[in-house]
Amino acid sequence: MGDDYPTLFRSEQMSLMQFLIPTEVAHDTVAELGELGNVQFKDLNPAVNPFQRSFVGEIRRTEEMTRRVRFFESQIQKEKDVVPIRPLYDSAPLLTVGPSAAHNIDELDVTLAEHEKRLVQMNDSYKTLSERTRELVEARHVLRETAVFFEKAETQHTDIRTSFDDSSAPLLQHDDREQQYSSTVQFDLEFIAGTIDRTRISTFERVLWRVLRGNLYMNHTDITEPFVDPATGTETRKNVFIIFAHGDALLAKIRKVAESMGATLYPIDANADKRSDSLREVTARLEDLETVLYNTGLNRRSKLLKIGENLARWQDVVRKEKAIYETMNLFNFDVRRKTLVAEGWVPTRDLTMIQLALRHATEASGTSVVPILHELRTSKTPPTFTRTNKFTEGFQTIMDAYGIATYQEVNPGLFAIVTFPFLFAVMFGDIGHGLIIFFAALYMIYQEKKWAKQELDEILGQFFYGRYIILLMGIFSVYTGLMYNDIFSKSLHIWHSGWDFPEPGSNGVSYAVSNGHMYPFGVDPAWHGADNGLVFTNSYKMKMSIVLGVIHMTFALCLQLPNHIKFKRPLDIYANFIPQMIFLQSIFGYLVVCILYKWSIDWSTRDTEPPSLLNMLIAMLLSPGKVDANAQLYPGQSFIQVVLLLLAMVCVPWMLCMKPYFQWKEIQMIQGQGYVGLNHHNGGHRESTDEVLESEEEGNGRVIVEEMEEEHEQHDFSEVVIHQIIHTIEFCLGCISHTASYLRLWALSLAHAQLSEVLWSMTIEKFLGMSGIFGTITLAIVVVFWFSATVFILCIMEGLSAFLHALRLHWVEANSKHYQGEGYLFTPLSFAKLDEKE
Amino acid sequence: MASVIPVIFILVIVLGLMTCGFLFVPKGPNQTTIRTAIMLTFASCYLMWMVTYMAQLHPLITPYRSTKAGESL
Repeated sequence: MGDDYPTLFRSEQMSLMQFLIPTEVAHDTVAELGELGNVQFKDLNPAVNPFQRSFVGEIRRTEEMTRRVRFFESQIQKEKDVVPIRPLYDSAPLLTVGPSAAHNIDELDVTLAEHEKRLVQMNDSYKTLSERTRELVEARHVLRETAVFFEKAETQHTDIRTSFDDSSAPLLQHDDREQQYSSTVQFDLEFIAGTIDRTRISTFERVLWRVLRGNLYMNHTDITEPFVDPATGTETRKNVFIIFAHGDALLAKIRKVAESMGATLYPIDANADKRSDSLREVTARLEDLETVLYNTGLNRRSKLLKIGENLARWQDVVRKEKAIYETMNLFNFDVRRKTLVAEGWVPTRDLTMIQLALRHATEASGTSVVPILHELRTSKTPPTFTRTNKFTEGFQTIMDAYGIATYQEVNPGLFAIVTFPFLFAVMFGDIGHGLIIFFAALYMIYQEKKWAKQELDEILGQFFYGRYIILLMGIFSVYTGLMYNDIFSKSLHIWHSGWDFPEPGSNGVSYAVSNGHMYPFGVDPAWHGADNGLVFTNSYKMKMSIVLGVIHMTFALCLQLPNHIKFKRPLDIYANFIPQMIFLQSIFGYLVVCILYKWSIDWSTRDTEPPSLLNMLIAMLLSPGKVDANAQLYPGQSFIQVVLLLLAMVCVPWMLCMKPYFQWKEIQMIQGQGYVGLNHHNGGHRESTDEVLESEEEGNGRVIVEEMEEEHEQHDFSEVVIHQIIHTIEFCLGCISHTASYLRLWALSLAHAQLSEVLWSMTIEKFLGMSGIFGTITLAIVVVFWFSATVFILCIMEGLSAFLHALRLHWVEANSKHYQGEGYLFTPLSFAKLDEKE
Repeated sequence: MASVIPVIFILVIVLGLMTCGFLFVPKGPNQTTIRTAIMLTFASCYLMWMVTYMAQLHPLITPYRSTKAGESL
C-alpha cells in the first residue's frame, strides 16, 4: 500500500525492521520509541532465561522502586482523611532521557528508599506508642474501679465496725499494713487486680471458684469504652476485676490462672493515698503519650502529603523504566559491531516517523551516533494492525473479539460500523426507546474528556467504551421505530392511513376498508390495535428477516473476492466463491425473489390463491418438478425450480472436488520436477554463501533469529481433502441454518413490541381515567414507575439482548462466509498503553 | 392504487445518493470509513423501507377491530 491514507478496509502493511543501536543511546532510543508507540519488538534471545539477561540488574532496581511506590500508595489509601495525589497531567515531568537521566534515576532511588525508611519508622513508633497508651488506659480504669470497690468495702466496713476511721485508713485495721505487701496473720486479705476480656470473665470466675474452692471474693465491672486495636481496627471490651484472697499459695494460684486466661494484672496498692498518687502519675503519663502520639500522627500525615504530590510522577517514571529495560532485554548484543541489535515490526507508513524519533533521541542524549535502520525480508506473517480512532475503535474491538483478522485480509469491522447498529435496530425498533439510548450516548460523548481521565467502574466503563456504538444504535432504532410505527407502544399517524374503519357490524366487529391511500413510510397505523395486527406484523417481519438475512450473507460472501484477488488465489474464486454463491442464490436468493414477487402481485386480480412460500420451498426440495397449477406463483415455475435445484446440487461436488483436484495436480507437477516436498527443511541452518555475506557487509540486514513458530500448510493431500469436505458441509448446512437463524430479527422485535405494549397497558393505561388531585398524584407515580421500567427493562435489558444477538449474527452468520481470523494483534511498546493496562 | 413504481423510483434516487456519497467524500484518513458508512446506511435504510412498502402494497388480509362494551373506536 504505502499510498496516501490508511483505511479500515485492510490491516496496515507492516515491515520488519532491524535497528542497530549504539549502547550509549539505547535507553533513550527505546524511551523515544515507547513514547511513539509504533514498534513491536521481537524477542531475539528466546533461549535465555530471564535471570540471565543483560539488564537484569536494572530491572531488579526498578522492581524495588515499584514496590516502594506501591507501599506509599497503600499507605495513602489507608488514611481515613483523603490524601490528595496530584494527577499526572498536573505534575512536572521527571527527565529520564538525556545526559542527566542516570543521575535523576539514582536520585529517585535514594529518595524513595529514604521515604520508605522514615515512613516505616513512623509506623512502628506509632504502633508502640498506641500499645503503651492502651496499657496506661487500662491501668487507669483499674485504679478507678478498684477505688470504687475499696470505697464500697469501706462503707460496709464502717457499718460493721462503727469506727471513725479516716477514709485514707487502710482497708483493714492493721498498722503495719503499709509496710508489708504480703499478709501475715488471719484477717489479712490480699488482692489481685487487673483486666480481662469481657467474654472470658465468667469462665475466669468459675475456674477460680473451683481452683480455690470458694476461698475468694471477686468483684468486676465493665469498662464502658472499647479498646480499638490500631493495626486491625477491631474492638475489644474488657472488664476490671479485683480478687480478694489470703495466703501466698492461693494468690500464686490466682496469678497463674489469671495469666493463663489472658488477663493483665496491675499492681494496686491498698493505701488510698498511694492509689491516688499512682492515678495521678498514670494520667500524667497518658497525657504525655497522647501528645507524642498526636505529633507523630501529624508528622506522618505531612510526610504522606508530600509523597502524594509526587506519587503519580514516580509511578509513571518507574513504570516506563521497567518497560524500557524489559524491552532492552529482548535485544541482541552484537560483539563485532559493538552495538545492540533489535528487530521489530513497524507499520510501513510510519517509517519516517520512526527515523525522526531516532534522530531526536540521539540529539537529546547528546551523542552523535545515530541508530541505523534497515528493512529485512522475511516470510513470517506480520502482526495485524488496524489504525482506529475513537469512533471506530469500539466497532473494531467487538469484531476483534471473535478473532484477529489475518494479515491484510478484509476487515469486517469496517462494515460493522453500519450493519451492526442496523441489525440491532431491526430487533429494537421503537422511536421512544431509540431516543432514550441516543441521548444517553450523547451525554457520555459530551462528558468524554472528563470521563476518559477518571477510573470508571467496570460496568460503566464498558458502556462508556461503546458510546459511539450506542449512539449509532439509537439513531438507527429511531429509523426502524418509524418503520414499525412504534413509539412507546403507540403508533404515529403522520400521513393518511390506507384503511378506514366503518361502524361495527352486528357482532361488534369493524372490518377496515381500503381507501386507496398507501401509507408511504412505515407500517400503516391501522394495524395497531387491530385484532389481527399481529398476524400481519409477524408475516411482514419474518419475511423481512429472511430478505435482510440473505442479503447480509450474500454481502459477506462477496467479501471473499477481494481476499482471493489480493492473495493471488484464483483457484479459490472458481472452486469456492462461485459454487458457494450459486448454491446460496439458487435456493435462498430464489426465496427472496419469490417473497418480493408475491408482494408485488395484486392477488385479487388473479385466479389462483396466493401460495404459501414455505410450502413452496419445501415442495421444491422434496418433490421437484411438481407444481400444482392452482398453487403456482408464476407460470413456468416447475421448470425453473428444477433448474435451480440442479444448479444447487451441482455445486456440492463442485465445491468438494475442484480445489483438491487442482492442488493434487500441482503436487504432481512439483514432484515431477524432482524437488522433494516443499518446506521440509526450513530448519535452522542458513546458507552463508559469499554473496550473502558480501551483501551483509554492505549493510543489508539479515534476520537474526528464525523461529519455526509457524506451521506452513501441509501439502499432504489427505489434509486438503478433509479440509475441503469439512468446508463444503459447513457451508451447505450453514446456508440453511443461518438463514433460519436470521429469524431472530423477527423474534426479538416481536418480544420488544409486546413487552412495551404490556408495560403500557398494565401501568399508565389503567390510571388514565382517574380525575382530581388524587388521580393526578397517582398518575404521576405510575408514570415514574413506567419510565423506570422502560429504561431498565426495555432499554437496558432488551438492549443488551439485542446487542448480543446482533453480534452473534455478525460473528457466526456473516464472518463464517469470508473471515479467516488467524492473525495476531500488533502490540507495540507504548507507554500510553501501559497506563491502560494498569 | 398503490403500485410498485415508487419502489423503483426511490431505488434510483438511493443509488444516485450512494454514488454521490462515493464521489464527493473528501480525501483524508477517514475517506473509506465515511464512504462505506454512507453507502451502507443508504442501502440498508432503503431495503427496510422497500420491504415495508411492498408488504403493504397488496395485503392479503384486512385489519379488523372488535369493540368491547362501552369502548368507542
